[in-house]
Amino acid sequence: MTQDPILSVRGLQIRFGLRGRTLHAIRDIDLDLYRGEVLALVGESGSGKSVFTKSFMGLLDANGSITGGSIDYYPTPGCVPLHLAALKTEKEWLAVRGREIAMVMQDPMTSLNPLKTIGEQITEAVTLHQGLKGAAAREKTLEYLRDVGIPDPALRYKQYPHEFSGGMRQRVVIAIALACNPKILLCDEPTTALDVTIQAQILQLLRQMRAKYHLTIVLITHDLGVVANLADRVAVMYAGDIVEIGTADEIYYDPRHPYTWALLSSMPQMGVKGEDLFSIPGTPPNLFAEIRGDAFAPRNPQALKIDFVKRPPYFAVSPTHKARTWLLDPRAPRIEPPAAVKKLQKEGL
Amino acid sequence: MAEPLLEVKNLQVAYGSGRKAYSAVQNASFTIYKGETFGLVGESGSGKTTIGRAILRILPTTGGEILYKGQRINGKISRALDKQLTREIQMIFQDPQSSLNERAKVSYIVGEGLQNVRPELTAAQREEKVRQALLDVGLLPEFASRFPHEFSGGQRQRIGIARALIVEPEFIVADEPISALDMSIRAQVLNLLRQLQKQRGITYLFIAHDLSVMRYISDRIAVIRKGNILELADAEELVTHPLHPYTRSLLSAIPMPDPRREREKQLLVYDPAMHDYTAAPPAWRQLRPQHWVLCNDAEAAQWLAGSGTN
Repeated sequence: MTQDPILSVRGLQIRFGLRGRTLHAIRDIDLDLYRGEVLALVGESGSGKSVFTKSFMGLLDANGSITGGSIDYYPTPGCVPLHLAALKTEKEWLAVRGREIAMVMQDPMTSLNPLKTIGEQITEAVTLHQGLKGAAAREKTLEYLRDVGIPDPALRYKQYPHEFSGGMRQRVVIAIALACNPKILLCDEPTTALDVTIQAQILQLLRQMRAKYHLTIVLITHDLGVVANLADRVAVMYAGDIVEIGTADEIYYDPRHPYTWALLSSMPQMGVKGEDLFSIPGTPPNLFAEIRGDAFAPRNPQALKIDFVKRPPYFAVSPTHKARTWLLDPRAPRIEPPAAVKKLQKEGL
Repeated sequence: MAEPLLEVKNLQVAYGSGRKAYSAVQNASFTIYKGETFGLVGESGSGKTTIGRAILRILPTTGGEILYKGQRINGKISRALDKQLTREIQMIFQDPQSSLNERAKVSYIVGEGLQNVRPELTAAQREEKVRQALLDVGLLPEFASRFPHEFSGGQRQRIGIARALIVEPEFIVADEPISALDMSIRAQVLNLLRQLQKQRGITYLFIAHDLSVMRYISDRIAVIRKGNILELADAEELVTHPLHPYTRSLLSAIPMPDPRREREKQLLVYDPAMHDYTAAPPAWRQLRPQHWVLCNDAEAAQWLAGSGTN
């Protein structure tokens, strides 16, 4: 994996105004997205993972805005970056949306237009972004349908979304995203609404499409299990911040942040029958209030005193792995990860 | 545990009637024993929810019988039995966002069932019961005066559980109770359901599409597809020795938080066209101890020979 950033986020802050109060959705995130990688963003609802990626496409709700930091996009290696955080008008965004960065939404039932045929919807993107018309556009559309594994494309071209199953619709949504010819594909919980077997197929499809179209993929999910086979790197988000980031192997086999420990050990796959599952007490913090120290501290029974006072900086575990926790400070007491995490580290599942 | 609580025999359920009828459950038979957690796994459209609803008498059945404590409970039943069943069989719903009445306070949502099955209670006694039920599911009693929109998904699911518990049921149908919840909240709710079972000996029918959750929570698992139960066994037995190719494909699709294993994983895809049932129709057979599979002779031999390779 080359370490050539395609997207570089520095000190990003996003706030929402809600009935006179301010919600700090993203608190000071730094992130480099490398060209050609699959990065998984993992976190609970409300952790800010969707808001964070929506800001790459200028899709924040009207009451939200970027209040600090920068998002720099490098279409080709080493070129002059495009400052996405500074874009204001819809017209400026149109040059980025779809063409450079495309998105696959969670629910395939609502992201397609029910009044247009599947073919028309894909052709629209082909015409708009690739300048093809008529028979050439149709030919290209059929090719995308074949690519995403839809049998009998010529027949399916003429059908409407209601004639497709959930898994097939998600394939169509992916085809539309591909037809924009983007460099970055943002997938927001692409499989959450689907059955387990279909989920596995869609993940496989994403892997194939990444190789064929040289995509950089950001995969948003709340389920650490889903991304284990696709992600090169994993970033764990909590309360609007990335608390730990590393390669997939580092996050699964050598996690360092107590929140990552908790997420991993609360999975039913890790549970031992007849014993309680590890569960995180409490609920995520209120983002309207000022967060002092480590946001996870109130839910962490082993939190240190300093966790409530000072926000931890990133400590590097390896050149690719860093975590925001005071546990990595040389002065911190030694706290062992939970048993399930150690077991995964030693022998796998 | 040998005492059967609920028996489902050759159950058939159809939607619509006449030529438009769609048969959602074709021939389902299983027995749920007292105090156990019985898991029903299937994908969308498999008929798992339909079976749960038929047991609760929300849906009429078109064939077969459902026996509860030896008494037939589908079709026409006496008023007294109907009342008893309302009290003893309760349901927990999938989506905590839509299963609570937005206009009612928590005290009413949780306590409504009591007005029906325990009309002799005074308002003060009912209030006390609501208090206790909220405490039992790990909520604060003062939540009783709030409205559902003031709660998070996990808390709302707990309210749904409190509503089921308050009438002191013996049997609960839990239809995907955790699929709409976040990872960290799932563990909380699963633990709660398990503790309640330990304290009160409640029997669960647990309906889900996710075998990894099932393996953890269930004692026995039945796999259902297109209205037919394909395989039934103890949870560990089913996961370690799956026989039916459909079960194997479901197992292979479970995402594991283990990148090394995931990268080597072979995804098995089930193709129903693989069965040739024209000459030898399938039957419900016991191929291993307490492990039942829907298959014909040739398949039985073939699958048994291939078992243990998964």
